[in-house]
Amino acid sequence: MIGRVLTVYLKEIRDALRDRRTALMVLVASVVTGPLTLVLVAQFVSGLEERAATLKVRMSGAEHAPALVNFLRRADVEIEKAPVDYAARVKDGSLDAVVAVPRDFHERWLAHDEARVELVYDDSRTESSPAIRQTERLLAAFNRETAYLRLMARGVSPSLNESVKVERINAATPRQKGAVLLFLIPMFAILAPLLGGMTLAIDATAGERERGSLEPLLANPVPTAVFAVGKWLAAWTSATVVAAVTLAGFLAAAVLYAERKLPALLQFGVPEFTRFVAVVVPLAALTSAAQMLISTYGRSYREAQTYVSYLATAVSFIPLVVMFSGAREAAWQSFVPVLGQLMALQRVLRGDGLSSSDAFVPAAVALALAVAAVAAVARLLRDERIVFGRS
Amino acid sequence: MIEVASLAKRFGSVDAVRRVSFTAADGRVTGLLGPNGAGKTTTLRMISTLLAPSAGVVSVDGIDAGQEPLAVRARVGALSDARGLYARLTARENIAYYGELRGMARPRLAESIGRLASLLEFESLLDRRTEGFSQGERMKVAIARALVHDPPNVILDEPTNGLDVMTTRSLREAVRRLREAGKCVLFSSHVMQEVAALCDEIVIVAHGVVSAAGTPAAIREAAGCEDLEEAFVRLTGPADAVAPGGPR
Repeated sequence: MIGRVLTVYLKEIRDALRDRRTALMVLVASVVTGPLTLVLVAQFVSGLEERAATLKVRMSGAEHAPALVNFLRRADVEIEKAPVDYAARVKDGSLDAVVAVPRDFHERWLAHDEARVELVYDDSRTESSPAIRQTERLLAAFNRETAYLRLMARGVSPSLNESVKVERINAATPRQKGAVLLFLIPMFAILAPLLGGMTLAIDATAGERERGSLEPLLANPVPTAVFAVGKWLAAWTSATVVAAVTLAGFLAAAVLYAERKLPALLQFGVPEFTRFVAVVVPLAALTSAAQMLISTYGRSYREAQTYVSYLATAVSFIPLVVMFSGAREAAWQSFVPVLGQLMALQRVLRGDGLSSSDAFVPAAVALALAVAAVAAVARLLRDERIVFGRS
Repeated sequence: MIEVASLAKRFGSVDAVRRVSFTAADGRVTGLLGPNGAGKTTTLRMISTLLAPSAGVVSVDGIDAGQEPLAVRARVGALSDARGLYARLTARENIAYYGELRGMARPRLAESIGRLASLLEFESLLDRRTEGFSQGERMKVAIARALVHDPPNVILDEPTNGLDVMTTRSLREAVRRLREAGKCVLFSSHVMQEVAALCDEIVIVAHGVVSAAGTPAAIREAAGCEDLEEAFVRLTGPADAVAPGGPR
């Protein structure tokens, strides 16, 4: 019996590999995913850090505010003269924020009148927000210092003015700054087996019938379970390979990046890679079995493709729902396919330990459901209406 | 030997096969003749155990198909109505897949493929992918695939459909060789001449019922006319012309 399963398995794998174009497309797509995502996210995150790290304020009319300039110099802030068309530059994003000082600033300031400055920014640009906040903070500090000195001059304790003192302590470790990746990498890890198993799962079921090769195949003296298992193992293999290649892409990209800008942004080394593969392989068993089961109902390759893409959509919704509903981790989540894997993967990325129940419960659930789906496929292949079309 | 007794198959409210009984003996070519929709393909699918009969019994070499479908499949080689090949595999790989599924050892399999390719005259195609094959070439590969395990019983469902004269000829020759080898060949067709040229026994099926059976001569006699085609038309006439429980 195992020999027959192997025969079916090898035939499906060979058949799939002969479809060079599809195989290459899938492989290239999965190789590229990791590096591309990481480069984009890293560019984005490091951009944020760079812009905020060097203290720099762009000013227009700095000559009208010598006190402010003096304060900023003391705070080690680099002051840059803003170009004349600064408003347009802020709008198009080439400048983050500009402090515009009106002509009468110094006089009003000296006279203890309300002295105005304009902070020009465009808050629809998220990448500017660190620079905007920084400028705001510097202006507020200047304000505070001025008030402090003036109160002192009148013999009033400055602490009256500040009954609650807020000190900012950012609790996020550098790793957590890569929070986007915490969401993106598990999502790709979960979608990769869906992409990898799809073609084979459809071709081995709906494709087989559309080609007219299912009927003669089933006329062989072999129980349908042999076909179901052999085809499933082939689809599982393909899904696993594609998922592993995708994750290896992330690994390679993370290693390359670690040497450059973002040492602590993302820990995705060999240990994380191994744990990811360990979580994704059982999931791939389930996704390919589910794809086969769904495709067996498809009357044609096309129809099956439509059904299977619904499955992919449903699966990719789960991470989104988790992200937007802000669902907290709970024990029951381990028992929900995809969700359990997602939680386990996020835990791996956060550097929290992966307990055996975090890893084994989702794997056991996935494998059990996969076996049930394969058994259902075997049963359907004995069904006259499925084999000869529904009438 | 294939024996079919009172076979019936109902799909929902449609009686595809109502009552079909006949025997196809070893060393003979038996032709299942009937117009389109007469129930030939359904009957053959029940014999190759792909469909379960609603009533009646199929037995192959004395084995009950309902009881031991896998044993029956092992003794039958069937060219079914659907005869798709794997386009990305070569002809040889297509045939070998079925041989391996039937548990054939490598050397025997290689020998069998060579023998069938020479019987059906397609040796030069063996190592080409079947992608661009003509209909006749595909048919030959499909037949070789069905016969790879050298089965004692051969079922061919409309094997000459859509083939040109040369291919049809070489196919007929192959069928005769199978008969000489002592096989039981069951062959379906809706073409009178086809059956007349090849068959030792003819079973005429119309509207799911056997309306006549016997040697070509016996059929002509039963219909009361000299011309076999005329006999065919009389015997397969409209449904109400066939008396219920009529001649078997």
